[in-house]
Amino acid sequence: MSELTDVLDRVLTQALPGEALEVYGVDRAETTVRAQDGDVESLSRSRSRGVGIRVLADGAFGYAHTSDLGEEALAATLAAARRNAAAADPDEANVLPDAADAAPLAGLLDPTAAEVGVDERVALALELEAAVRAAGPPAKGVDAAIVGDGIGEEAIATTSGIRDRVERSEAYALVEALCEAESGATSALGVRFTRSPRTLDVAGAAAEAVERAARLLGGRKPPSGALTVVLDPQVTAELLGVLTGALNAEAVQRGRSLFAGRVGERLAPAHVTLVDDGRHPEGPSSAPRDGEGVPTGRTVLLEGGVLAGFLHDSRSAAREGTASTGNAVRRGHQGPPSVGPSNGYLEPGTASPEALLAEAGEAFYCQQVMGLHSGADPASGQISVGASGLMVRDGALAEPVREATIAGTIPDLLAGIVAVGRDLRFVPVAGGMGGQTLLVDGLTLSGS
Amino acid sequence: MTETSHVLDDALVAEVLSVALASGAGFAEIYAERRRSRAVGLDDGRVEDVVSGLDLGAGVRVVDGLRTGYAYTNVLSRESLLDAARAAAAAVQGSARVRVADLTEVVAPVRHPVERDPLAADGPALAALCRRAEDAARSEDAAIVQVAVRYADIVQGVFLANSEGHRSTEERVRTRLVTQAVAARDGEIQTAHEAPGGAVGHELFDAHPPESIGSRAARRAVTLLDADPAPVGELPVVLAPGSGGVLFHEACGHGMEADLVAKEASVYAGRRGERIGTEAVSVVDDASLVGHWGSYGLDDEGQPAQRTVLFDAGVCTDYLSDRVRAAQLGVPRSGNGRRQSYAHLPIPRMTNTFIVPGGEDPEAVVAGVEHGLYCDALGGGQVNPATGEFVFGVDLAHVIEGGERTRAVRGANLVGDGPTVLASVGAVASDFDVRQGICGKDGQGVPAGLGNPTLLLERITVGGTGA
Repeated sequence: MSELTDVLDRVLTQALPGEALEVYGVDRAETTVRAQDGDVESLSRSRSRGVGIRVLADGAFGYAHTSDLGEEALAATLAAARRNAAAADPDEANVLPDAADAAPLAGLLDPTAAEVGVDERVALALELEAAVRAAGPPAKGVDAAIVGDGIGEEAIATTSGIRDRVERSEAYALVEALCEAESGATSALGVRFTRSPRTLDVAGAAAEAVERAARLLGGRKPPSGALTVVLDPQVTAELLGVLTGALNAEAVQRGRSLFAGRVGERLAPAHVTLVDDGRHPEGPSSAPRDGEGVPTGRTVLLEGGVLAGFLHDSRSAAREGTASTGNAVRRGHQGPPSVGPSNGYLEPGTASPEALLAEAGEAFYCQQVMGLHSGADPASGQISVGASGLMVRDGALAEPVREATIAGTIPDLLAGIVAVGRDLRFVPVAGGMGGQTLLVDGLTLSGS
Repeated sequence: MTETSHVLDDALVAEVLSVALASGAGFAEIYAERRRSRAVGLDDGRVEDVVSGLDLGAGVRVVDGLRTGYAYTNVLSRESLLDAARAAAAAVQGSARVRVADLTEVVAPVRHPVERDPLAADGPALAALCRRAEDAARSEDAAIVQVAVRYADIVQGVFLANSEGHRSTEERVRTRLVTQAVAARDGEIQTAHEAPGGAVGHELFDAHPPESIGSRAARRAVTLLDADPAPVGELPVVLAPGSGGVLFHEACGHGMEADLVAKEASVYAGRRGERIGTEAVSVVDDASLVGHWGSYGLDDEGQPAQRTVLFDAGVCTDYLSDRVRAAQLGVPRSGNGRRQSYAHLPIPRMTNTFIVPGGEDPEAVVAGVEHGLYCDALGGGQVNPATGEFVFGVDLAHVIEGGERTRAVRGANLVGDGPTVLASVGAVASDFDVRQGICGKDGQGVPAGLGNPTLLLERITVGGTGA
């Protein structure tokens, strides 16, 4: 095995009678290159490791973590986790999951990622930045042009018999292009995500950012009113992030979701199916097991528009006598797992984005939203976010719009989905969410 | 303690910095950090997450002009540090032939002393603090159906040394208690939260007893249940003390950060000396305020904390800079080079950003509005610094009619752009309050203090669901 799994095994052998232990570790190398004005602005490299220990004793969980993997630090961390468990309250639902077989998942590690040298990464970042400037006016440069990648392993071992280790690699290109005209300045994002820097389409990211920034130039406030809205795939993905927050069993059990007690109810038209799939081949969050070692799977949340269920980890599932859906999420080793989405998306429809614009006729094309984390509340269901984009006239994109607000509720949004596009795409900036062009009625647009 | 120390001895520092300078860069630096953090989470009546941790690591930075190489490790051995120095140096090919200067200890001009050490409170004592906030929230109103409380403290030790001979250490302590209350009635759910914190220990709870944190959150959640949809349109808006600092942080502060100015990705680039706002509005950033949430003694490049005026009676004044951007723009360093941790490069950031109080009576500010909105609490917001455009959620507001605060409204947001907001500031009152947030930029989160007196925005776009 690896150095990391050795560390985990050593901690596990120190379990006391009557105590359950989970040990989770990460070991990862990252490189990030930022380019500006034809030169490297910064080049950052790292290797970082860490271990988190979860103790279950007398029905209560305690957690402690360390980046120091020396014997003494690990012993101190285990002792701290035990003290933390003693300070927490017991809960019958507190369990460590039993070991279960998980089918392997290919494609998480691209072997070419390890072969890529620093010079090659630098060249990609320079190419990304140069491509924006080479586009010519109105493009004037970048706010940020970043090529980053990571390669490493994650491992988990528990006294309940789980032992797992996954190697994975990720690479991304992210560029914020600036455009300028007499009417003012605009900016927009272009993003690509793959498993190796070698397969990154930096020219595509640059072209996308320039096109999206340029078409917003000269935007004005729109008239107010209820209007058909066409959501850009990136916006759809971001809104699904809010929606899945309300479909989290922990939130439902704690009275923080508007969907509590509504399983079996129709929430959306029959052509709307919402899925969380921890094994989707293109999903940024795909893994064979979740953050507490439970095999991942495909969970249908909205089946033909009807609410079918919620996302669970082992604890939320134990409360209801059901099974975990494999949705325990970890953000590194510095905290315990909690319930969250993996790769959430709407099953793609058959219409192209162009066909959806044609179907909309007169509408607002929402290219980007602002203020989502404060303006969309999974508890109350209210959505009120800033938006910019373009008007749709006679079925085609027309004049740009800025400083608009889109308002409504999550139920309005779901019930108002007229058509789902076929252009599903996973966007790493929206967690693991995927999005496609979406045609929605029932939202209010306000401007001047 | 037998743990590895983050404070490095002079001989090792000199060796690492020499290796870092080997490729000809003009500047090299070591930032080493030891962070102890604790969190206690109470939810659904149970203390269910008690977490503690140790994070130790060091980054070596090499700078030549606008080019930066950085490498970090969380193994603080000589070998790992030398590897990091070589990796950082490889990113920068310069022609400077700089030698590492003899190290001299630099002491921060301002300290943020802790009166009551948070680490003196053990897990059960922290759990008790959370329960006090929860009990107060639940007993506030029968409509409160759920309460979540989260206590957090960190003790961050920072060691800095650079090739110019700077060596310093600083210990930063921060304590915070966040309470979220959920109110429900007739199938409707509303939430509200309160989250005071500071660069302080448990004296935080003298100013903010857990009971008052819990009951404030609960009262607002209940008020929201009875609130109407907010009006929509261009309206005069009065910001309650403390509620509006976040708006100026986003709409006016970010664009004054020198990296965005240097990239011409700011609406304020090239506008120093220009009148942008009304004479009533002065905006200041101050890391030296003792015990405030965004305060420190030295920034994460070793520069002393200071007060910087961003807008002086409406005139665009000074940018917030770090070492690299100050040199690029030819301005003095303002002590705003901050990083989330050793895993990040320092960049220009705000610290405690606020509107300077004026001379008006707060009641008179409201009385002067015929028809408008009084914002009790703003949520988070977002800005596009290139255009200055922003959006802010309004958690809770009241309609002002005939100079009086009347019914509560919710679901509003404020939409506009920074220069327009500065130009619309009318009366500014003599009161003042602060809030605490975590500001995100380039993937780094740092504590940011926000403050304002009662003030009037004469005209701003209010978006929402109402008519």
